[in-house]
Amino acid sequence: MKKEYVTFVRDFKSLPQGKEIEITIRDLTPGPRKYDAKIVKAVVSEDPARMPEGDLLWLRSATGVLSAKPWAIQVKGEVKGFLNLPPYSSLLRT
Amino acid sequence: MAFKDLRQFITALEKTGDVVKIKQEVDWDLELGAIGRRAYELSQPAQWFQKIRDYPPEYTIFNGSLGTWRRLSIALGLPPETPIRELYAEYDRREQKPVKPVVVKTGGCKENIRVGDKVDLYQLPTPMLHEGDGGRYLGTWDVVVSKDPETGWSNWGMYRFMIHDKTTLTGYPAPFSHLAMMLSRRYIPKKQPMPIAIAIGCEPLCHMVATAGYGINVDEADYAGALGQAPVELVKCETSDLLVPAHSEIVIEGEIAPDKTAPEGPFGEYPGYRSGQTGGGLLCQVKAITYRTNPIMTVIALGVPPDDSSIAASLTAGLAMKRRLVRHNIPVTDVYVPPEGVTHLIVVGVKKGGADVARQIIEIFTARRAMTSKVIVVDEDVDPFNMAEVLHAFAVKCHPGKGIHVTTFEGRANALTPCYSPEERRKLSGAGVAFDATWPLDWDPNTDVPVKSSFTGTFSKETQEKVIKNWKKYGFK
Repeated sequence: MKKEYVTFVRDFKSLPQGKEIEITIRDLTPGPRKYDAKIVKAVVSEDPARMPEGDLLWLRSATGVLSAKPWAIQVKGEVKGFLNLPPYSSLLRT
Repeated sequence: MAFKDLRQFITALEKTGDVVKIKQEVDWDLELGAIGRRAYELSQPAQWFQKIRDYPPEYTIFNGSLGTWRRLSIALGLPPETPIRELYAEYDRREQKPVKPVVVKTGGCKENIRVGDKVDLYQLPTPMLHEGDGGRYLGTWDVVVSKDPETGWSNWGMYRFMIHDKTTLTGYPAPFSHLAMMLSRRYIPKKQPMPIAIAIGCEPLCHMVATAGYGINVDEADYAGALGQAPVELVKCETSDLLVPAHSEIVIEGEIAPDKTAPEGPFGEYPGYRSGQTGGGLLCQVKAITYRTNPIMTVIALGVPPDDSSIAASLTAGLAMKRRLVRHNIPVTDVYVPPEGVTHLIVVGVKKGGADVARQIIEIFTARRAMTSKVIVVDEDVDPFNMAEVLHAFAVKCHPGKGIHVTTFEGRANALTPCYSPEERRKLSGAGVAFDATWPLDWDPNTDVPVKSSFTGTFSKETQEKVIKNWKKYGFK
């Protein structure tokens, strides 16, 4: 059973594919901990068929609009800590 | 005090039929938010959700504390049918006499204490309120307490906070809010974490004053006491010297990092749109959670008006704006903030209008934090609280070429105003406009000003009195 996650991006097309990136994802596993966030190192692909071993990653725009189809994600590991940026920083990839 | 705590307030709402206890299991993930939203939009009672999916029955949720004028009247200890104008007047009268809070040794919020490793935010049934929100918002109908370490000022504000992980929240007090100002002046330069406490499920007037725009160095707790006509009881936090309402249902104690962030938002906000974007929020590391046994979590399923936010802000913003205009010598009679205008649209009644007064008013309202963008200025013969009269005056007295006064600004606009472009929202640039629905001062009242064709405007006092005296005889009730 594939796990499902969601992430927020400014522009779906700008999300780098096929190489390792750091990304904040929220776990969509049903239950009281649904939407728990973590920063991970991961590789993503627009086409889940190209990453059959990957889990599903739903994308939402910066304003919260859901993508029509999920992407695939392979989580390589969790990044401990938070983003070393001051409050109110612009975070999303442009 | 009208009520000692939220539970007494809910009991009062039960007596007047202004709350419904929902015993059927409800999913915290969107279903609860949808119920709350539909209830606001159909002017239904507040809701006390008794059974939340994934959570034990002792954890319940209350939505819609002050979502109608009736419930706000009850919160003030007034009859539910109190007219809006009288509510404004009574609120204004009580605010003139601030009542200092008292500090007590303990309170209901200390019945259960989880500190350090015992902290787990997922213990609380925090709802996912709207489809497309950035996360589960724990702070919606809250009182966020912060303190200026140099002056001792204790600020209460209502700011949104969502769960990041089991011990971390991210929040969005607007960049020009008092909390953000305190953080940027006192803590970020010293790279020190800023203690805060998020009180949830307080007596409703505590939440009400947290929505108000009292000035810098003004303690909102004094005004909660004024409105309730008795001192608010405060108790010290477990991990800081902050003081919180002692009878809060839940208190989250934490520290805002001066140099770290995590994604926050978007959120279906008070203007009625999900107009913000995901951004770097204030990152709050939670140090302790304290709560009453069988805690009741208060929320607002925010959105299109009316709801708790737009009703509470109508009063608090309206009175604050009137005082501001008086300080600037504007000949103001009344200010009404219609809930439907979500503090973006304000009605100002004046004894003497004209273009200069209209321009002054919009300049005053947009000088520092431009939360308001549209003002309708009406003459004394129009009741600002009567939107039918206001709309009529706007339609026929506001000159489309000469009566509209626009001002633009940068760096202080409301980032959540839906009509602003994404770039304007990022730069906090925007505009304000005054619609002058008053007669020009240089018009001769005998020859230039049109006579109002109404019962009181056209007919002599004698005729009016005769008609009123015989009204029932004509067959009217």
